Amino acid sequence: MIETQTTKGTQETTDMAQKTTQQTLSPQIKSAVIDLLYRLADDNLALGHRNSEWTGLAPIIEADIAFSSMAQDKMGHALTFYKLLESLGEPAPDAQAFLRLADAFHCCSLVCLERGDWALSIVRHFFFDEAMAVRCQALMTGRYAPLAEVAAKLRGELKYHVMHGRLNVTKLGRGTEESHARMQTAVDRLFPHALGMFEPTEADQTIANAEIQPREADLCKAWRDRVEPILHEAGLSVPAQAQPVYGGRAGKHPATFARLLEDMQEVYRLDPAAKW
Amino acid sequence: MADTNDTQWPVFEVFHQQARGEPHVHVGSIHAPDGETALMLAKEQYGRRQACVHMWVVPTDAILATDYEDADIFEHGTDKSYREAFGYQTTKRAREIGDEDEL
Repeated sequence: MIETQTTKGTQETTDMAQKTTQQTLSPQIKSAVIDLLYRLADDNLALGHRNSEWTGLAPIIEADIAFSSMAQDKMGHALTFYKLLESLGEPAPDAQAFLRLADAFHCCSLVCLERGDWALSIVRHFFFDEAMAVRCQALMTGRYAPLAEVAAKLRGELKYHVMHGRLNVTKLGRGTEESHARMQTAVDRLFPHALGMFEPTEADQTIANAEIQPREADLCKAWRDRVEPILHEAGLSVPAQAQPVYGGRAGKHPATFARLLEDMQEVYRLDPAAKW
Repeated sequence: MADTNDTQWPVFEVFHQQARGEPHVHVGSIHAPDGETALMLAKEQYGRRQACVHMWVVPTDAILATDYEDADIFEHGTDKSYREAFGYQTTKRAREIGDEDEL
């Protein structure tokens, strides 16, 4: 559990009174919060879309339903972040999702990668949701009230995503020789990209100083502390000396992302003024 | 009870509870390799559209049941109305004698 200097025991009530709303954000902090929100929104939008590519194609129908439903949850989470951005003066959610070009998005490379086999998508889902859970736990006790509220709202759905990820990683990791091999290949491939979820941006120190969220490096450590024992439990090894893949937070994405956007934005772009 | 033509995973019966204190209600069944997975998948399959605070999955094989052929054992051939409580007018009698505790 991430500990911030803010909420602890009796400090809690005083702290609640000191939480900031968007009206009280200084321009510098506001800019940093917007940076953070775009990262969260874009990650969830891209992964929600990617995971929806399994609809109708998952190994069994019950898994298909669960995975598709979680993809819908991700879209809902993305929308919640985009709405908060809109309240801070950014464009409306539809414009953000469907009209921005690739280099304007701030999602990490992990969520841009192709669907892959089921093992890859399951490992990605596990890595991503453990990170979202760590992040939201921290945001809930952070000083920016609107974001703390959003994080609290997502808690229940994220709890299930985490449960689902852990169960599947454990079962598939220790399943058959084939499932184990595919899972290990997926872990080896995705771990560096997963570390890239925590790519620091210029907003990093500002947000930490404002006690809105801990530094990315601290979140990464907390994430590793959760994830590595579970991988071990599943009979999977973590790549030694994995180097994080950065660039996503600065708008540099793998080629697969351009194709994702083309796919996702196609219908909306045919007629942005259409009423659905 | 097992269908020998079924080449799928074992079947589990799913029960959900809409609110704490209410009875668990049977909502359907699900194929899964084991109980943990059944519960995880049933959450979405049976929990994503309706209110639910609690869910059970039970291996179908664990359920012992009567046969529909034997539905007649539940019928009352002779008058059993003495088992019903309509003869006990406790509220009316309590009011008559002013029994505050009973009311």
